[in-house]
Amino acid sequence: MVKEKVLSIRDLSIAFKTSSGLVSAVRGVNLDLYKGETLAIVGESGSGKSVTVKTIMGILSNNGKIKSGTIEYTYEEKGQKTTKNLLDFSKRDMRKNINGKHIAMVFQDPMTSLDPTMNIGNQIMEGMRIHYKTPKKEAYAKALELLELVGITDAESRMSNYPHQLSGGMRQRIVIAIALASDPDVLICDEPTTALDVTIQAKILELIQSIQEKTGISVIYITHDLGVVAKVADHVNVMYAGRIVETGTVNEVFYEPRHPYTWGLLLAMPDLETKADKLESIPGNPPNLEHEVTGDPFAPRNPYALNIDHRLEPPMFQISETHYAATWLLADEAPVCPPPAELQERIERMKKEDERYVGSEETYTFREELKAAL
Amino acid sequence: MSDLKKPILSVKNLKQHFKVSRKFTVKAVDGVSFDIFPGETYGLVGESGSGKSTIGRSVIRLYDITDGEMTFNDQNISGKVSKETNDMLRTKMQMIFQDPMASLNPRKTVMDIIAQGLDIHGKAGSKKEREEQVIEILERVGLSREFANRYPNQFSGGQRQRIGIARALIMNPDLIIADEAISALDVSIQAQIVNLMKDIQKETNVAYLFIAHDLSMVRYISDRIGVLHLGHLLETGTTEEIFNNPLHPYTKSLISAIPHPNPVLEKKRTSLSYDYATSGLNYSEGKLHTVEGTHKVLGTDLDIEKWLQKDNQKEVIGVS
Repeated sequence: MVKEKVLSIRDLSIAFKTSSGLVSAVRGVNLDLYKGETLAIVGESGSGKSVTVKTIMGILSNNGKIKSGTIEYTYEEKGQKTTKNLLDFSKRDMRKNINGKHIAMVFQDPMTSLDPTMNIGNQIMEGMRIHYKTPKKEAYAKALELLELVGITDAESRMSNYPHQLSGGMRQRIVIAIALASDPDVLICDEPTTALDVTIQAKILELIQSIQEKTGISVIYITHDLGVVAKVADHVNVMYAGRIVETGTVNEVFYEPRHPYTWGLLLAMPDLETKADKLESIPGNPPNLEHEVTGDPFAPRNPYALNIDHRLEPPMFQISETHYAATWLLADEAPVCPPPAELQERIERMKKEDERYVGSEETYTFREELKAAL
Repeated sequence: MSDLKKPILSVKNLKQHFKVSRKFTVKAVDGVSFDIFPGETYGLVGESGSGKSTIGRSVIRLYDITDGEMTFNDQNISGKVSKETNDMLRTKMQMIFQDPMASLNPRKTVMDIIAQGLDIHGKAGSKKEREEQVIEILERVGLSREFANRYPNQFSGGQRQRIGIARALIMNPDLIIADEAISALDVSIQAQIVNLMKDIQKETNVAYLFIAHDLSMVRYISDRIGVLHLGHLLETGTTEEIFNNPLHPYTKSLISAIPHPNPVLEKKRTSLSYDYATSGLNYSEGKLHTVEGTHKVLGTDLDIEKWLQKDNQKEVIGVS
């Protein structure tokens, strides 16, 4: 089956004008999103992940400047497939034809992304009424359907509620319902569960997954939580200092990580088995992008850095058809450098646990249950 | 922890109610008891609104408690206290806050922020001694001495949190309350701060009350854990007891919701749901029952019996 490309970002670079100079927040990002797939972008704050998706939506703040790149978006317009560069659109065209209608976004904080003066029924119907001129009755019926889809009980009476009457988890469900109202092809979720509790987080993620199964939309997740990535993503992009440093399928990135930054991220999360005295942490702080970066921006924090890392930024090395990483460790001349022993151990353990579950329909809820089963 | 040791902090039947209007009172904390022993880390977990932050703030006397009894270092710290007790409390118990930007005065240098406790309690000594103490503590938390004359806005989030820790440490406390101290930080920085906190604990034998909602971090750092929901302490015990044998359905749902960084498994995992309204439980009717050792669960006799019978667990939680 040939996968259909929905969104293709090439060589995107963005800089912000600030009082202390030009900050290059995104430096040459390439991304591909296929139909029905889930893509995750992982990185620390300031790595440029939010800026990248904001550019897709055309909601970059005013001091942001796109220096280079294209965002090719393939969509159906009047029954015809067209591919257009979203960066050529004017703000007005974006609002009218793309935002909400084709690409919708769910923001981190459900408290600030809902209008407190409008009841939730009207907020859900607004998009349909404007983009498709849906008659009011039809829109109302669809809004009800959506509320049920996102798992809100007693939908009819909820339609006239205002956001402050709902809990955080409920509000995020409403935001998702609004995003889905105009049948978008792409849903962008910017840290959709960071502001929510663990129990609700799991529910929201499961909800987005089930909707994806039903409607076949493509989803982009932005997160710094690798647990979330493991749960939802097909494809993972690890971002650092405005560049993608490792990209691959979720299994490739979790089981065969190649970039030292990915190693650090995986080790920094205490696994439920971690009993070590110390967590492996990445030393230092993320770089300040106000200054021109020479060499690999990760080099000062990288215990595996080679001499060349301080002089020349590494290109993307191909590992497999889908797996790439930007580190000189993969160059032919580089010394052989396996991931840290602790990480290897952890991966081995994960693989062992997986064996039982690969290809079977069984599910589990507890780690201990899992251990007992082994 | 052994029973022979004396707790450094002991909280008994703590109640903290907030009167919203004449008719409506929020019972943020409703009868919570726990002990913290010297040199250990007690983790408090629960969802937002469960009262975990309120407990931290009540313990350090930022609120006047509604009811209950708290003793710290063998002195009663509930109700009216003498000036000596208050001074002891203000120096020996310290707090680290969630948002490192909001909790540092932007108009003061790092030196003055860290030394403020010393100044207030007249422990600073000469100007030189004061400076030496601050620099020593700065280096202890992994910041260089040049930072002393800078302002908080010149630091990154992780560095600011280190300053917050330094400010707490300089008073040589016996107990530090860390209220979501790492939740606002990036994953790689979180690990650095947790390591720092553990190192300090080893050196100074300080106890932590670690308040957080990230269970995997709590499991990693805590010796004992208390699970809170709607102002009630539902289950408490050592970390192993809670994670290996969770009894209360709420604890179970919390643990089942922790995401694991393992893609194959994670895609197979289902989390349990728990809803107080439909669970048929009434927290105020229950009593804390001891299961074994230090493991205690809140519930009526009937509930506990049901939970102890493993076969019935699924039915109790309400999942099929």
